[in-house]
Amino acid sequence: MHAQPSEISDNELLAAVSRGDEQALAVLYDRYRLILFGLILRILHDRNEAEDVLQETFLQVWRRAGDFDATRGRAFTWLVTIARSRALDRLRALGSRARTAEEVVAHSAQDVTGDAAEEAVKSEQGKIVRQALEELPEEQKRTLFLAYFEGLTQSEIAARLGDPLGTVKTRMRAGLMKLREVLRQDSRGL
Amino acid sequence: MEHLEYEELLTLHALDALDAPDRRKLEEHLESCSVCRAELAEMRDAAGLLAHASTAVEPGAEVRERILSSIRAEGHSAKASEVNNVVPIAPQRKANAPSYWLKIAAGIALVGLIFWLVSVFLVQNHKISNLTAQIEAQRWELEREREARRRDQEALALLNSRDSRRMDLTGTAQAQNARAVFIFDQKSGKAMLMTDGLPMAPAGMAYEVWFIPKGQAPMPGKTFTVDPAGKAMMMDEMPAAARENAVVAITLEPEKGSASPTGAIYLASPAS
Repeated sequence: MHAQPSEISDNELLAAVSRGDEQALAVLYDRYRLILFGLILRILHDRNEAEDVLQETFLQVWRRAGDFDATRGRAFTWLVTIARSRALDRLRALGSRARTAEEVVAHSAQDVTGDAAEEAVKSEQGKIVRQALEELPEEQKRTLFLAYFEGLTQSEIAARLGDPLGTVKTRMRAGLMKLREVLRQDSRGL
Repeated sequence: MEHLEYEELLTLHALDALDAPDRRKLEEHLESCSVCRAELAEMRDAAGLLAHASTAVEPGAEVRERILSSIRAEGHSAKASEVNNVVPIAPQRKANAPSYWLKIAAGIALVGLIFWLVSVFLVQNHKISNLTAQIEAQRWELEREREARRRDQEALALLNSRDSRRMDLTGTAQAQNARAVFIFDQKSGKAMLMTDGLPMAPAGMAYEVWFIPKGQAPMPGKTFTVDPAGKAMMMDEMPAAARENAVVAITLEPEKGSASPTGAIYLASPAS
């Protein structure tokens, strides 16, 4: 890879990783560690667990980069899907362990938010998405977040919020349609 | 089921939120419907954008090196298998003298022996790398467990302490449904906060704890964020000056925290 890392597309990087290019994986890590770690930490609320899952995520990327098919979705989606699935699996595994007072302290890592990296916070793509989310009604946002960050199904969300199932479905669809609009408007690819 | 109804299910499937019977129905349909498969791919791309709703956070600097070390260890196995897959090329032309055959046979045997030795070396080397990686992972896991146990003990000690005091925080006009419990040890100052019903902090912002001793300026505690249900649990330390007679309050601040409160109060304990 002779081009500057920032000039190489995600698809090219994943192709290089599938050929065993360690440097390409390092570039992907540098490019996405902040957003992926933020996502995993938001799901797990525990810094140690989250770092462990971040490592698992990139090991899976290393082993499975050959499975990525650019015709079936964006590389960004592929990466966040791995990170989210791994984090939710860990969340469930932790939940199934007998935890007493541990429950009380498991969230103590939530106070570790001071070192958010500015470049990612300021990234254009993140800004557009957060702007779109801010425009969503609070209940639509909450429904989407419960599904995305807690891995709840439609029925579980309805039970959690005490809302009818039909309402939950409508809110989720409306919220996701808004995000699809963002995706379509930004042809540069977020 | 009509095609349109499947489209409804696709949205929920993109968020992995379908209940099992609906999911099975949709997956059967997807096998034969390329339109829905394409729609699902786009919906998944849209759902993936939700990752941007979380605050970007820098992981520990050592994580990068841990990942790169692990993949280097795996890389050895790929190289070893490449060597194993090498097939020596057999001589194509016939030779007349038996001594020539012997030389060829000896040559092939020698090459075979070298390959075998290299393979054994690489496989062993790979096993050692794997074992080292496993030991490192176990050591790390152990340290993590120790840390978790230490935190458990801290929380239990606080809950069981005779010197622990409880304060109930109620939501202000900013968050009328919010509430929180603050428990602290009057001697050691160790403290624990549990919130419920707080709105999620906007990007770049976090909640900050304040200890306000009577007649004195607010003293900052730690910052924290909440989950979609408005819940958070965190450990903190209460300054000695605030342990006798203080109000505990929560404000919304820039995520790195403020030295003195700048944002609105969301939760506060009653003034004594």
